[in-house]
Amino acid sequence: MADLLNIEDLHLEFHTYDGVAKVLAGVDLKMQRGDVLGLVGETGCGKSMTALSVPRLIPMPPGKITEGRVTFDGEDILSKSEGEMETFRASHLGMIFQDPVTNLNPLFTIREQLVDSVLYQQARGQKVPGRWKGFMPSVRQLRAEAQERAVELMRLTGIPDGDKRIFEYPHQFSGGMRQRVLIAMALAGDPDLLIADEPTTALDVTIQAQILRLIRSLVKQLGLTVLLITHNLGVVARSCERVAVMYSGRVVEESPVRELFKNPKHPYTRGLINAVPQKDVSRGGLIGIPGMIPNLIDPPAGCRFHPRCEQAMEICRRQVPAAIAVGAEHKASCFLYPEDA
Amino acid sequence: MSRLLEINHLKKYFPIRGGLLNRRVADFRAVDDVSFTLQEGKTLGLVGESGSGKTTIGKCILRLLEPTSGQILYDGQDITHIKARELRRLRSEIQMIYQAPAASLNGRMTVGQIIGEPLWIHEKLRGDEARDRVLELMTVVGLKEEHYYRYPHEFSGGQQQRIGIARALAVQPRLIVLDEPTSALDVSVQAQILNLLQDLQDQFDLTYLFISHDLGVVRYMCDEVALLYLGKIVEVAKTEVIFEEPKHPYTQALISAIPEPDPDLQREEIIIRGDLSHAFPQKGCPFAPRCHAEKLASCDSVLPPLLEADRGHLVACHLHPALSASSASESP
Repeated sequence: MADLLNIEDLHLEFHTYDGVAKVLAGVDLKMQRGDVLGLVGETGCGKSMTALSVPRLIPMPPGKITEGRVTFDGEDILSKSEGEMETFRASHLGMIFQDPVTNLNPLFTIREQLVDSVLYQQARGQKVPGRWKGFMPSVRQLRAEAQERAVELMRLTGIPDGDKRIFEYPHQFSGGMRQRVLIAMALAGDPDLLIADEPTTALDVTIQAQILRLIRSLVKQLGLTVLLITHNLGVVARSCERVAVMYSGRVVEESPVRELFKNPKHPYTRGLINAVPQKDVSRGGLIGIPGMIPNLIDPPAGCRFHPRCEQAMEICRRQVPAAIAVGAEHKASCFLYPEDA
Repeated sequence: MSRLLEINHLKKYFPIRGGLLNRRVADFRAVDDVSFTLQEGKTLGLVGESGSGKTTIGKCILRLLEPTSGQILYDGQDITHIKARELRRLRSEIQMIYQAPAASLNGRMTVGQIIGEPLWIHEKLRGDEARDRVLELMTVVGLKEEHYYRYPHEFSGGQQQRIGIARALAVQPRLIVLDEPTSALDVSVQAQILNLLQDLQDQFDLTYLFISHDLGVVRYMCDEVALLYLGKIVEVAKTEVIFEEPKHPYTQALISAIPEPDPDLQREEIIIRGDLSHAFPQKGCPFAPRCHAEKLASCDSVLPPLLEADRGHLVACHLHPALSASSASESP
């Protein structure tokens, strides 16, 4: 099957007063239709930037893509005009963000915001029969239809009494319910790919469990493809099929979920898994990763992880390791593994 | 082993004002009748979702907030109403470490000044003497000597938290209230800080009140855990007991919701409905509207008291009557 999303050797730089920050240094990522891919990494590793390069929402300047290709369903995204991008985003993409408070306008009711996004996506996306087909419905009729669709979306995302609550303002919704509203908005245009950027980070664990269950059920019901960005390995273990681990602007390991947790290959992945306080770790048994994430303006030469890596070798200081197959569908970028393995 | 801290029936109500003349129309019960004890040298975890009152309890202990009623005993002494002079002495014994390291450090002071300030206030140390102590503290928490003249913004989150820890340690406290010390940090850094806190506890005989919403971290750090729901304690027990045999339905749901990094883990996933709401019926169990367990008639009408359902295991739930039956839970 052809790839739905293909990111190849993506390099992204940000020009700052201190110098050029090399935020992404050759990201490779492929997603097929129906995939649920978790993109994991710590603060500043470039996971959000990778995701934002798909809807091309990175501010340019100061950002600049210096190398690489992003294709979606065979179409080259980076060469599209801004107008084409708007159509593309409306018809193929849905995004949800971390903070459900700042992403809703407190001055408008949920109805106005949700109906607007339904109308916008219909008008831009051209997937839903347009308003010029057949006869021309009045604006009032359009809005009424859009409102029906909005209530339907609220039901789909598990908001009870959608037909009443649609008249309420964001502050009348709890954090979990606001996140559901945002998911409803993202689904308004019937997207192929849902990009969820830390969707549960601001929520309590019980609400997090509800939202993750919702995303999983949407994947089943609608056949969504999901790119889930998170720093929480537990969230990935619960809701994804494949994982890509990022470190300082590169994907260092990629594998099916079970394989990654049972048999992590890259030293960084191992460190990350060991750093999570788990069931059977006794007092003093938790192992962190020494040091801290590298400076992106002046990153270490060679493998960017080598200053923190216990197994660093001479070659790690000089060369950037390429992704090597270390198992079935399991790739790691590390010199510890021979090329032909 | 002695009781370092004892909290009896602590209440903190915030007024809700409204109506004509902005009168007090109702109370927001942030902390509602909470009692627990903390043994010297141990770590007690206070766990709950946002809005459960865990930070308010921490602030009441330091008297950063005045409790509405109740009693706080520190080392046998009632500190609920002591005056400013004594309070200052008390604060050299009880310190707090905050959640957002960047916001709790003054951006216009250097690291040396930040860590040195409590030394000046509490011990009148200045000059070289203070400087030596600050450098010593910095080594203890894993900062380098050259960081002395730097400003907080030059540090990463983990390093900033280390500065906050050094500042708290400066006055040689016995009790430290840790308010979500690692929730703003990445996991690899979180592990470093948690290990540092454990080392310091062993080294200086510290007692911790560990406030957190992350059960995984609590399981790693704490000897005992108290679970809060809407300002009330619903369950207290030793850490192993809480995680092996949780009794309260809320605890069970919370533990099943921990995202464990193990895809093979098979467990019953309890997903509770709705969310934390202070608009619960004032009678009955506050958790009743979201509860997934068997419902008794008394759930909606009688507030379940916190009773010893097993040895050293306190639960506030009608499903778990006290060890010696015939107790208060039976009476109407």
